[in-house]
Amino acid sequence: MADAALRWMIAGEWRQHPGRIAVAALAIAVGVALGFAVHLVNGSALASFGQAIRTVNGAADLQITATSALGMDEALYGRVALAAGVADASPVVMLKAKSPSGEAIPVLGLDVIRAANVTPTTIGVSASGPGTGATDPFASDALFLSRAALAAARVRVGDSLAITANGHTQTMVVRGTLPAVADGQRLGAIDIAASQSLFGRLGRIDRIDLKLADGAQPGAARLALARLLPPDAILSDGDDQTAQSDALSRAYRVNLDMLALVALLTGSFLVYATQSLSVARRLQAFALLRTLGMQKRALIALVATEGALAGLAGSVLGLLLGYGLAAGAMALLGGDLGGGYFGDAPPPLIFAPGAALAFFALGMAAAIGGSVLPALDGARAAPAVALKNAGDALDPRARPGLMVPLVLAGLGIGAALMPAAARLPLFGYLAIALLLAAGIAAMPGVARLLLAPLARRPSGAFAFDLAVQHLRGTPGAAASALSGIVASTALMIAMAIMVTSFRGAVDEWLGDILSGDLYLRSDPGSGGFDPAAQGALARVKGVERIMFSRTVPLVLAADQPPMQLIARPVMPAMEAMTLIGSAVRPPRGAIPVWLSEPAARILGRSAGQSVRLPLGHGEHFAVAGVWRDYARQQGAIAIESSDYERMSGDLARDAAMVVLAPGASADSVSRALIAASPPALQGQVQTAQPAVLRRFALTLFDRSFAITYLLEAVAIIVGLAGVAATTSAQALARTREFGMLRHIGVSRGQVLAMLGSEGALLGLVGSMAGVLLGIAISQVLIHVVNPQSFNWTMSTRFPLGLMASVIAALTVAASATAMLAGRRALSVDAVRAVRADW
Amino acid sequence: MSPQSPMPAPDARLQIRALSKSVPGGRVLFSGLTLDVAPGDLVAIMGESGSGKSTLLNLIAGLDHPDGGEVVIAGTRLGGLDERGLTDLRRRQIGFVFQAFHILPYLTLRRNVALPLAIGKTGTAEALARADAMLEQVGLGARGDDYARDLSGGEMQRVAIARALIHGPALILADEPTGNLDPETAALVLALFGKAARERGAAGVLVTHSAAAAAIADRTVWLTPSGLVAADG
Amino acid sequence: MKRAHAIMALALMAATSAAPPVVYPVVSPGRTFAFPADHGAHPEYRTEWWYVTGIVAGVDGKRLGFQVTFFRSRLPVDPNNASAFAAKQVLFAHVALSDPATGHILHDERAARAGFGLAGAKVGDADITIRDWRLVRLADGQFTTRIAAKGFTLDLAFTPSQPPLLEGQGGYSRKGPKPSEASYYYSLPQMRVSGTIMRGKAGGSVSGKAWLDREWSSSYLNPVAAGWDWTGLNFDDGSALMAFRIRRRDGSTLWAGGSFRRAGGAVVVLAPGDVSLVPMRRWTSPRTGATYPIAQTLTIRLPEGVRRFALTPFMADQELDARRSGLPIYWEGAVTTPGGSGYLELTGYAAPMKM
Repeated sequence: MADAALRWMIAGEWRQHPGRIAVAALAIAVGVALGFAVHLVNGSALASFGQAIRTVNGAADLQITATSALGMDEALYGRVALAAGVADASPVVMLKAKSPSGEAIPVLGLDVIRAANVTPTTIGVSASGPGTGATDPFASDALFLSRAALAAARVRVGDSLAITANGHTQTMVVRGTLPAVADGQRLGAIDIAASQSLFGRLGRIDRIDLKLADGAQPGAARLALARLLPPDAILSDGDDQTAQSDALSRAYRVNLDMLALVALLTGSFLVYATQSLSVARRLQAFALLRTLGMQKRALIALVATEGALAGLAGSVLGLLLGYGLAAGAMALLGGDLGGGYFGDAPPPLIFAPGAALAFFALGMAAAIGGSVLPALDGARAAPAVALKNAGDALDPRARPGLMVPLVLAGLGIGAALMPAAARLPLFGYLAIALLLAAGIAAMPGVARLLLAPLARRPSGAFAFDLAVQHLRGTPGAAASALSGIVASTALMIAMAIMVTSFRGAVDEWLGDILSGDLYLRSDPGSGGFDPAAQGALARVKGVERIMFSRTVPLVLAADQPPMQLIARPVMPAMEAMTLIGSAVRPPRGAIPVWLSEPAARILGRSAGQSVRLPLGHGEHFAVAGVWRDYARQQGAIAIESSDYERMSGDLARDAAMVVLAPGASADSVSRALIAASPPALQGQVQTAQPAVLRRFALTLFDRSFAITYLLEAVAIIVGLAGVAATTSAQALARTREFGMLRHIGVSRGQVLAMLGSEGALLGLVGSMAGVLLGIAISQVLIHVVNPQSFNWTMSTRFPLGLMASVIAALTVAASATAMLAGRRALSVDAVRAVRADW
Repeated sequence: MSPQSPMPAPDARLQIRALSKSVPGGRVLFSGLTLDVAPGDLVAIMGESGSGKSTLLNLIAGLDHPDGGEVVIAGTRLGGLDERGLTDLRRRQIGFVFQAFHILPYLTLRRNVALPLAIGKTGTAEALARADAMLEQVGLGARGDDYARDLSGGEMQRVAIARALIHGPALILADEPTGNLDPETAALVLALFGKAARERGAAGVLVTHSAAAAAIADRTVWLTPSGLVAADG
Repeated sequence: MKRAHAIMALALMAATSAAPPVVYPVVSPGRTFAFPADHGAHPEYRTEWWYVTGIVAGVDGKRLGFQVTFFRSRLPVDPNNASAFAAKQVLFAHVALSDPATGHILHDERAARAGFGLAGAKVGDADITIRDWRLVRLADGQFTTRIAAKGFTLDLAFTPSQPPLLEGQGGYSRKGPKPSEASYYYSLPQMRVSGTIMRGKAGGSVSGKAWLDREWSSSYLNPVAAGWDWTGLNFDDGSALMAFRIRRRDGSTLWAGGSFRRAGGAVVVLAPGDVSLVPMRRWTSPRTGATYPIAQTLTIRLPEGVRRFALTPFMADQELDARRSGLPIYWEGAVTTPGGSGYLELTGYAAPMKM
């Protein structure tokens, strides 16, 4: 009979309560959709980013890369080309070029003969076709552009195009295309000699692409090459570059994925709440089936099947929603969801079947898991008791066990103390999951604890007192209603505290570092201000003091994104730098450097220790201090201008902080500074006042956290949906109770007041517990997850207003939904209610 | 028995005059039904299934409206009361005993019994003290802190009886109170019910189709479409 | 004259515009040759080559043809460009091995701009390198080359047995109707070859005869020319013959020339009317569809009368498709003729050449 009975029961349940099943399915859908969308967007962005890197890199077997934009000595090329195991070597100069309209087009300076062997995809083909004699890759004005670059620059083959790079503007002729470059990728190629002589890079190259000899061992070749490399060059291969682009956004991406999983988890709580009430309501029916001879297993299968069907619907819907959401988010926020890690062109959305399958499975697991737990409870209930009494299966006197939550919390704290795994705060997330589980497991006890004062001292208001009694007396039902609220509130509050703390820390830090009156900056790739230009700027009227700085990306490890090397006057004033801890005088003979907090954490160095840097010619460096920096997640290293100049010979500066003379107007000095900039930099120099920079930085911050705000809103909606589902299910399950109360003289108003009180109490207790749990989780986020994934620390700031309003909103919303649900329950004829035994 | 439950007023009688009711389909359940139950008097109403016993009980309790005739409880005409008045009347003048007991599982027995007082203006401490006294009376004096799950069916119905009487109602309505009990327990519960109702001077109406149950009543009437017919013997 | 590879170098120059003009010296009669200086590079000229072809036999007696060629090309890039990468001089190398047992030639090629110790052609004596490929003349007058190519390795020494043979009018070799369409041209025929040729682990020492062609020029093909047929033959008696004809697109001869050095050393210069090449057998490449006259009858007019040489290829398929590195398709094959052997070169058959 089992199969037919199962079908009848499921069909009957769904016919009777389609809304409830739909809510459960929707909760799963939301979780799956969010997770899948975040994954798709990131996957697509990463794929496109990776392709861009591969395009520029041309897929060489192995590469030697300069550690900074200053490049490396070209003489290295001759030595490397003849090294053992190297079949061919192709020297490359990399230019961050711009078209006259400001479109960025990476341009490679190539020896076409070498590149043809090593990186054939970067080879230009003349428009008139190969072998006709018109190809002229060696001409110093010959430019070859990929299709996307042609479109971006709005030129055709044969046109002239002025390109600007490294502070030099040169008119080139588009001689042909780069047909092997992938669609959508911008790339230009010119002759390497032209790139050096026309764009100020004589004697320097940025990269040497290598082709290994057939049968050469990459490991042996790497070893042999490593011995040839000067400090300012580093060896890398495709894996390293993939790792580097992956590392760039990995922490951010994993954080978003985790948030999506949190949404899914909340969804499974909702399924749990719905299903446990559905089970509670049908306990008598189940008991009857059990007495009729249905196996316990079959009952569990019944509930699990219901969950699975809801999960199926939810997961499929979620995947569709997720795809749509990803497309929308990509168009609106870009491939990094506002995180600012990738370029600005939105990448094409790439469907990921593997991820789809994984999120589908997660959705199913959440739905089935949320169903099986209550099913086990239902099946455990003794048929006799269940038949007699439709009440809570739990004994109201039973003290809720504290063992499980305590053990879970202990494990959670233990996990929070673990170090990062694979550079990711995986244990931090485990800690959050464990704390969440502990919090939920503790809810029956916590609810009792919080309700105890109310229960001990009855208010005398019948409806309120009965509500308190009901919540205290049915810990199981209360807990299932509470778990959804607690979980979503806790996660939301934790995120909110983290973001608030972060934003506050950034805001405060901005105040500290923006100590100048005016900031001056030349465009990246413009070549910056040479010493003459620096002198001219310093002499501008109204400038009391001007502090120039130079920022160059510095690659410390091939598989890590570059750090920023900032050459600026550091000592003695330490202007615009906030040291964490104290400064240390470096040992004699060592060049002092100041590491940003992320740099210090990534390099594992603290003040006073020595550090190896790919700079100069074997100089010793020592950490003189660690400074706070929220701007450069991959790390920054400050060095005295004089030390930098001595080691690099680079005298140019790309930015400056200006202190105005008393009474000078920022606007007029700003105009004067731009006017005093060298003609070559016309149109490439910007000034900004601190307030603007601050606003810009905070806008950027808010943009990058936009997705988290969205997820918070979703968490709250899911939590409220949980309250609605639970209270309405409970209200329906209690129609007989209400009928009896109506018989003995309780008015409709009193019943509604009781339900409203219960809802409000649930909302209050749940949100308060959620807030407490959220505070605990926020500490894991702030002190474990953030340092481990972003490498910076901050102190906690509480969004008190938000916390209070979340509690108030949940209390009111829960109360309102409970009363709405009660209205329906009360519409059932009180007379029939007391008679209808089951 | 220090905190005494109040006794009903001397005129606490139930008067039913020319009451008629049809089911929505048009079939007449009964018409011209008249019944008078004096304080301390216990009447058993018997009838075939579907004869309208429960409907009659609902009309008496003000939970349903008659097509004609009227119900007067302790001098108050139900027809003249609005929903609020009816609820109030039930709370003050009527005690209910249900076939399915309806003891709230999340309240202690003491609080279950005290419910009718708690709904009104009675102070909590007094209500609980009186509930203990009532439990004593139904022989469950030591069980005030227990829950429904600890009780047998008979014990639950004794709690229900205590709850029905605690506020000194003028009228006690029992709907098949022993329907879920075995005969021996049923006998004990019925005896208790009869004794308690009579002692308190409340008018009692017992709807049942069990002759054994009806036997404890002072008189038994049969519900027929033309009204009530006194049973012989 | 020779060659195919120069074509790429020349093609590279064609469309240059922005750079300041590069002035190439014009080839004219009356130049005095001096050795070993003229074995070295003449970097001011647009194009130059060192072209060794030869036929050798191993201990098993089986014959192999080989070709080792280095080209130098001066590109018209801005002479003032300070970049060490400026492609002022570009070097190309082409190496091939013809083994009738294989049925087609094995070949490999290289190119590089001069500089960084990776590629260069020395002035003063022959020393041309691209990475580890090198052709160098030692102090004792012997040339050596060591080439590790894809699939085979040549390690050969060439010892001149005769003085350089100045082609044309004392080394001024006319290529077309205009006097400027000419090159400086000398040959070293009848060089003794010794060394090893390895193919994987197989192979071993070889010996035989080789021909070194040296040519430099700034202007080569007349615009109406489609290509040329060339041959250089070493005879067993010590005499040597070089002959070429430059074809129009319709296959007719635009220009021709050559020289015959008798075993005793006397040289007969062949005027355009003294040379004719008549196809005897054609072969169509299954890869490129080009049809080559791989067997020809060479007729030269000597003072003592007309002589005919039937040129028979080692094998039909000696086609080189070097389009991968921007070079043309051509046929460069070892041939035998009664009493001698050498190389036949056929260009412009897949598509007209532009030089």
